[in-house]
Amino acid sequence: MSFPGAVVFLWLASWRNRLRLQLQRLRRPRYLLGALVGLGYVYSIFLRRLDFSGPMGHVPPGVTLFAELSLMLSSLATVFSAWALGPDRPALTFTESEVVQLFPAPVARTSLLHYKLVKGWMGAALGALMATLFIGRLANPVPALFFAGSWLGLGTLYLHTTAASFTRTRLAARGWLGGLVRWGGVGLALMAVGLVAFRTLGTHPFPEQVGAPKDLWRWLEDFMAAPGPAAVLWPARLLVAPALARDVGSFVQALPPLLAMLGAHYLWLRVAEVPFEEAAVLRAESRTRERALRGGGRGRAGAITLRKAPFRLMARGRPEVALVWKNLIARKRMGGGVLALVAFLLAGGAVAAAMGDARLFTDTRRVVGPLALTAAVFLTVMGPSAFRMDLRMDMAKLDLLRALPLAGWQVVGAELAASALAVGGFQLGLLLVALGVGPGMDEAWLLEVWAPGLLSLACVLPAVSLAGLFVQNAAVVLFPAWVPADRGERARGIEALGQRLLTLVGSLVVTLVGLAPASLVGLVVGFPLWPSLDVWALPLAGAAAALVLVAEVGVGIALLGRAFEHLDVAEDRPE
Amino acid sequence: MDFLLRVAGLEKRYGDVKAVQGVSFSVAPGEVLGLVGPNGAGKTSTLRCLAGILPPSAGRVVVAGYDLATDAVEAKRQLAFLPDEPRFFEYLTVWEHLNFTARLYGVEDWEERGRALLEEMELSGKEKSLPGELSRGMKQKLSIACGFLHSPRLILLDEPLTGLDPIGIRRMKASLRRRAEEGAALVLSSHLLPLVEELCHRLLVIAGGRAMALGSLDEIRARLSGPGAEQASLEDLFVRITSAAGGEKSSP
Repeated sequence: MSFPGAVVFLWLASWRNRLRLQLQRLRRPRYLLGALVGLGYVYSIFLRRLDFSGPMGHVPPGVTLFAELSLMLSSLATVFSAWALGPDRPALTFTESEVVQLFPAPVARTSLLHYKLVKGWMGAALGALMATLFIGRLANPVPALFFAGSWLGLGTLYLHTTAASFTRTRLAARGWLGGLVRWGGVGLALMAVGLVAFRTLGTHPFPEQVGAPKDLWRWLEDFMAAPGPAAVLWPARLLVAPALARDVGSFVQALPPLLAMLGAHYLWLRVAEVPFEEAAVLRAESRTRERALRGGGRGRAGAITLRKAPFRLMARGRPEVALVWKNLIARKRMGGGVLALVAFLLAGGAVAAAMGDARLFTDTRRVVGPLALTAAVFLTVMGPSAFRMDLRMDMAKLDLLRALPLAGWQVVGAELAASALAVGGFQLGLLLVALGVGPGMDEAWLLEVWAPGLLSLACVLPAVSLAGLFVQNAAVVLFPAWVPADRGERARGIEALGQRLLTLVGSLVVTLVGLAPASLVGLVVGFPLWPSLDVWALPLAGAAAALVLVAEVGVGIALLGRAFEHLDVAEDRPE
Repeated sequence: MDFLLRVAGLEKRYGDVKAVQGVSFSVAPGEVLGLVGPNGAGKTSTLRCLAGILPPSAGRVVVAGYDLATDAVEAKRQLAFLPDEPRFFEYLTVWEHLNFTARLYGVEDWEERGRALLEEMELSGKEKSLPGELSRGMKQKLSIACGFLHSPRLILLDEPLTGLDPIGIRRMKASLRRRAEEGAALVLSSHLLPLVEELCHRLLVIAGGRAMALGSLDEIRARLSGPGAEQASLEDLFVRITSAAGGEKSSP
C-alpha cells in the first residue's frame, strides 16, 4: 500500500472506529441523554446560524468594521509571531504515535511534509468553518464564499508559518549573522509600521471627543484608508479579500492574488525545507509530557514556574493544612484563574472600544471603579470555573488522596479552601479598588450607597463563590462519570458536550437553590434594620446571608466528605 | 501473635465482575508476605483495598489494631502504600513532597529523616527538582522516600522495583529487609518471582480473585502433590497453581 493510501486508510479507520465507539456508548442512558442535549445545543448554537437566507437584521457598521479589522490584524499578528516568537525550529507537530509509526517507515521526508500540510489544511478548514459560524454573518452575507475565502486565507497563513519556521531554522544555523538578518528584518518591519502609525496619527489624530460609537469607527475607517496604513494592511487585505467578497464575481476577482500568494508560499516552503525529524520528536515528547501533566490533574499544561511557597509549612498542626498549602503552591506556580480575569478586563476594554466607548482611554479614573466592581461580580460567576485548585484538579490522583490519613470531610474542606481563598482574595482586592476609586459618577444616591453596598458585597460575593466552588466539587465527587475531573484526554463527542451542558445547568440550579435560604435571611435581617440604619443595613444583611451560605457549605462538606470516603470509581479504573 | 495486618473475607466487586473473592490472611511484625498471581488476578485491587484507597465490597481489614472501615484515619497513619506507578503533585518539588508528607503524618524531625532518605535513595541534590524533571527510577525512589518518612508499621508495595537500576534494586532490597527486621510488616506484590523468593517469608498466590495458596514456599511445595513437587521452583509452583485456576473468571 502506498503512503497516501495508508494515510487515507488510517484516517478512515480511525474515524469509523471512533464513530462505532460513540454509537456503542449511546446504549447507556446517560450518554444517550447527553447526545440529545448536545445535538440540541449544536443545532441552536451552530447549525441555526448557517441559515443566511433571511434578512441579516441590523448589524452596527462598527461591528462589521471590527470583524474585518480583526481578520486583517489577526493575519498580521500570525505573520509577526511566526517570525518573532517561539523557538528557531521547524513548526511541524507530529504526535508521538505518528513519530513511532511513520518516521521509521519507508517514507520520504517530502511525503511526511505533505502529510502534515494536508492535516494543516484540514485544520484550516475547521477554523474557517468556525469563523463562518461565528463571525461570517457579520462580515459576509454569503457563507459559502466566506468559508472558501477563509479556508484559503488560513491555509496560506499555515504555509507561511511553516515556511517561516524553516527559514528561521536555516538562519539560526548561521549563528549571529542569521540572527542579525532575522531580527534586523523584524526590527525594520516594526519600525516602518511604527513610523507609519505615528505619521498617520499626525494627519488623522485620535478624536478628543468621542460622543457616539460612529465617531470612533469613522476615524478608524479614515485612518485605515490613509496611504501609509493602507500599504501596511495591503497584504492582509489581499488575504482576506475573497472571504469578504459579497458575490461570486467579486470572489473570483479577489481569488488570483490569493492563489498567487498561496503558490509562492508553497514554493518558498519547498525551497526552505530543512530536516524536521529531530524537532518533531522533541516536540512530540514534550506534548506527551504535557498530556501526562494534565492527566496528573492539571487542567492546563504548560511550564511550571518554581515560585516560592506561600507560607512555611510546619510539621506540627492540623494535617489538612498541608493540602491547602500545596494547592496554593499550585495556584502560584501554574497561574490559571488570573489569566481569565486579565482576559476579561482586556476583552471588556476591547468591546467597549469597538462599540465606540472611548472613556477607557480618555477618562480612566471614572471607569476603573465600575470595572473593578463588575470584575468582582464576574468572578462570582466565572471564578468557580476558572480557579480549579481543588478536587477537580486532584481527582485524577484519587489513589493518592484516599491513601492520606485524613477523614473525607478534611480532604474535601481543605481541597475547597485554596480555590475559595484565591477567588475571595481577588474579589476583596477588586472591591477595595472600587471602594478607593469611587463609582465614577456623581449621582448622589450612588455615592451614598457605594461604600455600604461594597461592604455588603465583600461579605456576599466570596460566600457565593464558595458555594459555587462547593457545587462544582460536589458534582465531581457525586457524579464522577458525568463530571470528569481535569484529566489529560477530555471526553469528546456530542454526548460528552451534552453531559457537560447538563451538569452545568444542574450546578447552576443547585447553586441558586442554595442561595434561596441565604437571600431570605439577608432580607429578614436587612428589612427591620433599614429604618434605623438606612443603607448601612446592607452590610449587616450581607453578612447574615454570607453566614448562612458558609453554614450551608459547612454541612455540605461534612456530607460530601462521607461520599468521598465511599467514592468508588470502579467504572473508570477496574484494576 | 499480634498481627499488623489482618484481612478476613475481603471481597471487591466492580459491577458484576468479582476482582477479589473472600481473601483472608494475616501478616505479623517483621514478616514479608509476597503477593503473586497472573495479570488481572486481583493483586492491585487487593492492595488498594488494604491501603484504604478502594472501599471493599465485603470483608474486614485491620491495620495495627485499627479497623480500616471504622478507624480509617488511624489505620492509614500506620501504613504506607507504594504504587507501581508513582503519582506526585507535579508542581511540588522533591523537598516539598517530603514537607507535605511530614505535615500529614506529623513527622516533626522530617528534615533530618528526609535528608537521610534522599541520601539512601541517591536523590541528594534533587531537592528542588519537580517530579517532571525526574527519571522513572528517580520518581520510584521519591515515592519510596515519601512512603518511608513516617516509619510506617505496614508497608504495601506494588511492583516496587519498577524502573530502578541494578544498584537501586540492591539498595531497595536491603532497605526492605532492614525495615522488616526493625519490625515493619510488608506486603509485596510483584511478578519478579526471584525477588519474591528472596525477600518473602510467606506467599499468597491469587488467581481469578481467589487465594489459591498461602504459606511459606516449603509449605506450598509440600501441599502440592505430583511428580517433582519437592524440587519445584517458585516459577513451577506459580505455573501449576495458576493453571489449576485457569477456569476461574479473572477480573479486568
